Amino acid sequence: MGAMKLNERSVAHYALSDSPADHTGFLRTWGGPGTAPTPSGTGRRCWFVLKGNLLFSFESRESRAPLSLVVLEGCTVELAEAPVSEEFAFAICFDAPGVRPHLLAADGPAAQEAWVKALSRASFSYMRLVVRELESQLREARHSLALHRHSSWKATGSHRKPQAADRRSPGLENGYSPSKDCSSVDLVEERGSKPAGPGLAEWQGPASLYLDGRQSPAFPETSYFSTLHNWYGQEIMELRQRWLRRVWGSGPAREKQDGP
Amino acid sequence: MRYNEKELQALSRQPAELAAELGMRGPKKGSVLKRRLVKLVVNFLFYFRTDEAEPVGALLLERCRVTQEEPSGFSISFLEDPERKYHFACCSEEQCQEWMGALRRASYEFMRRSLIFYRNEIQKMTGKDPLEQFGISEEARFKLGGLKA
Repeated sequence: MGAMKLNERSVAHYALSDSPADHTGFLRTWGGPGTAPTPSGTGRRCWFVLKGNLLFSFESRESRAPLSLVVLEGCTVELAEAPVSEEFAFAICFDAPGVRPHLLAADGPAAQEAWVKALSRASFSYMRLVVRELESQLREARHSLALHRHSSWKATGSHRKPQAADRRSPGLENGYSPSKDCSSVDLVEERGSKPAGPGLAEWQGPASLYLDGRQSPAFPETSYFSTLHNWYGQEIMELRQRWLRRVWGSGPAREKQDGP
Repeated sequence: MRYNEKELQALSRQPAELAAELGMRGPKKGSVLKRRLVKLVVNFLFYFRTDEAEPVGALLLERCRVTQEEPSGFSISFLEDPERKYHFACCSEEQCQEWMGALRRASYEFMRRSLIFYRNEIQKMTGKDPLEQFGISEEARFKLGGLKA
C-alpha cells in the first residue's frame, strides 16, 4: 500500500500564510512519526502554530517550512507525565488505533493551561457544533420576533395566541450566499433583514393597527435590538407619565427630568 | 513536512458531509480522468479507489478556490498556484452545484466567519453574547467587531 497523498505544498503555504493563528508558542515535543517509540530526553523545542484544527510545528519562528502537522480531529487533550519528571506536559490522544499520543510540554503552568484549552476546542466538529447552535438561536430569535409582530396584526386584540399561518420569517439554512472564491466570502445579509439604521419612522406602522399602548405597531423586518429597545422605552415613558399624573393628582403632568 | 497518515486515514472513515463517485483528474499535465469515491470530511476532501478502504489521497480545503469548469464539472485549486487544478466530473449539473456549495463552506475559515456573523446578529437582537454559555466569549478567534470581507 503506497503512502497516502496530501496537497503538502498547499498545506505548507497555508501554514505560513497570514490566515489567523489561534495559538502560538514554544513547546517541547517528543512524539510524532519518525521518532523513537518511547519518549526520552528533554525533547525538541519547536515553534508551534495552531490554525483551526491544524497544529503545525516549525524549527524556529523564522522557518519557511513546517516540520510537522497534527490534524486535531477525533482527539482529546490530557495532562501527562512527561519523561524525566518534566512539568507542564500534556498529550494529544487519538481514538484511532495505532496512533500514538503526541506528547508536548509547555514552559510554564499558564502556557500549559492555555495550550490545553486551545487544543481541546480546536476541532472542526466542535466549531461546527457551536455554529449550528448559534444558527438555531438566531432562527429562534427571528422567529419569535416574527410571531410577536404577526400577533399584533390580529385586530381582534387577542395578542397572546399567535396564528401559525403566514410565518414570514425567512428560513435560515445558510446565512451566506456562497461566492465564487472560497478565500473571500461575501457576507450577504438574508433577504428581508435591513442594515442597521436609526430611522424609527419606518416601523411605526399604519395607524389602524396601533390599538392601544400595549400593542406593538406592525413594523417591517427590522431585527435589531436597539429599535425594539427604543420602542419599549417609549411605551415605558408613556406609562410612567400616566402614573405620575395619577400620583400627583390634578397637578400639571410634568415629567421629572432628573429621575433615576 | 511530517504528518501522521494514520490520523488522516482514521479521519477519512468518519461520517462525511458529502460522498459520491466522481470522475477525478489530477493537476499534472496528461493526467487521465479516473473514477474515485470522493468524500468530504470536515475540511478535507478524501479520494479513494472505488474498491479500496484506504484513501489514495487527501486535499486540505483551506484557502481553496472552487471553480465551475463545465455544466457538470468543477475544479479545486489553491491560492499559491491557481492554475494547478484538480478536476472533478459530476453526473449532473445539480450534483455539481451541490458539491461546489459544500466545498466552499468546508473550510475552518468559513466557519469562523459564520460564527462571528451569527454571534454579532444574536447580540444585536437579544443584547446577549451567545458564546458566554460556552465559556469561549473571550477567545480572540471569535472576536466581534467589523467583519472584513
